[in-house]
Amino acid sequence: MESQIELEYDDVKGHSNTKMVRFVGDLDATNVETVLEKICNLFDDGFINIVADFKKLRYVNSTGLGILLHFSKSAREKSGSFKIANVNENVYEIIEIIGATTLLEIYDDIDEAVAALK
Amino acid sequence: MPGLKIQKQPVELRPDLTMWKIDGPLDPESIGYIHREFDSVLETKQNFLIAEMSGVTHVSSAAIGQLMGCRQLLVERGGDLVITGVSLDIKSKLSAMGATKIFKFYNEMRTAINAYHWEVERKSEKVWLSFPPQLQFVPPVRQMVSRIARQKGYTQRDSFRIETIVDEVCNNAVEHGSEKVLKNIELNINIDREKIELEVINASDPDKIENLKALSTAMPKAPDAKMGQKRGRGLALIKMLSNSLDINFSGEGTSVHVTKLREE
Amino acid sequence: MDNETPYVFKVKFPSDLDYVAPVRKFVAETLTVNKFTPKFAYRSEVIVDEICHNAIIHGSRTVDATVEIECKIFPDRLEFQVNDQGGRKDDVERLKNVMKKADAHRADYLQDKDARGLGLEIVRLLSEEIKLEVGADNMTTVRVVRKREDA
Repeated sequence: MESQIELEYDDVKGHSNTKMVRFVGDLDATNVETVLEKICNLFDDGFINIVADFKKLRYVNSTGLGILLHFSKSAREKSGSFKIANVNENVYEIIEIIGATTLLEIYDDIDEAVAALK
Repeated sequence: MPGLKIQKQPVELRPDLTMWKIDGPLDPESIGYIHREFDSVLETKQNFLIAEMSGVTHVSSAAIGQLMGCRQLLVERGGDLVITGVSLDIKSKLSAMGATKIFKFYNEMRTAINAYHWEVERKSEKVWLSFPPQLQFVPPVRQMVSRIARQKGYTQRDSFRIETIVDEVCNNAVEHGSEKVLKNIELNINIDREKIELEVINASDPDKIENLKALSTAMPKAPDAKMGQKRGRGLALIKMLSNSLDINFSGEGTSVHVTKLREE
Repeated sequence: MDNETPYVFKVKFPSDLDYVAPVRKFVAETLTVNKFTPKFAYRSEVIVDEICHNAIIHGSRTVDATVEIECKIFPDRLEFQVNDQGGRKDDVERLKNVMKKADAHRADYLQDKDARGLGLEIVRLLSEEIKLEVGADNMTTVRVVRKREDA
């Protein structure tokens, strides 16, 4: 069974091809499959831009990081983007030490991430 | 481009289970081949099949449809066809096809086998924990046991009751344990789909044993607000929340054994 | 607790990913109640996660294999070790390669479409001391030392 993670969705005003997704809980090896499916469904529904709000994402391990990199790559292949905002200090440190900050689009807050949408 | 290759082989960790090592493109042309290979699986009367697909390079809806048909036949015989090792790219494509709503996917073979043990063979699993006899360790211990129960599919409510049981038993072990012999407390957990069994063992204080024996035999059936003693309510609570409670005293240690049946 | 008699706790659990989250949180929460900083506890949680995950996936050759983690809490540091029950020779070699200081490999792990190798690289970066011992039957012990941050 999976660790607890919830995804909450919101539309982004003025961007019909964009979805905001709030990650709540821990992203680890036991729930990446579920998260992968949900985000892929959004891509398939035409939401080529995802703004991920990590305010309530407490924890990410390497498997979770792998899936974030995958989302980033998948979105770029569709001419979209996977933007991350509100990353907590602990999660950011893991992303930073592994050198993934250059591979992920990370913003301080949601407004900044939305402003960066094409 | 090389065509599809399916190798039927025993699973290394469980030679009695069958694995399909699938490599190459799962394209429409492979339907006949999949069908023939599956016929040979049916002949072995093997009802559980693990499709290891880390070597799959392409998927088509026709081939996945054929695999769905294979799965359906196994399910009708009380078995299943599960998938492991799929890359993220292929998994994304399978998700778009709706395959993730039909098949169970596991990242690794180990995870698929563990799921088989738990869900199909209904095997129990054991956890052993040793921690210092200090109160500050009890909250992390009880939360760990509660999370294990939750992770193994017990309801939130059941997991909470288990947490309460562990809390009370461990608190007793710390409070009534020997202050001279600073030996770690041991917690043995045995969990399966039907029940969880907990055993807590701690070093006893010979001066406290008689009191403990008296408390355990005089446990009220329900917590009594008029009870003058602080102690004893914990044991009463454990008794109410669990299905069985046994306490054994010896000169060296006390062991408390609790069983709680899973409530659906 | 003092340097002569640390607090020691151990957990032994089945080689099943279901147990990793409860165990890593247990370690983090135990560190927090023993006055390590939240950041220290979080980093330790990540280390435990990655090493246990690796032990389960690559260090469990038998169907009833287990993983054991032992933590020693000293006033100024944490020492922990994770024992598995033996993996394949190529898995052990891969583990040895990751444990060597080789920052050049990190780009490979990030480019790997399934991000393999990232986990142990994170462990290496977060640990002050890390040792790998491989015994008979490729049974592996990973030992990590982390100094208390406010010591």
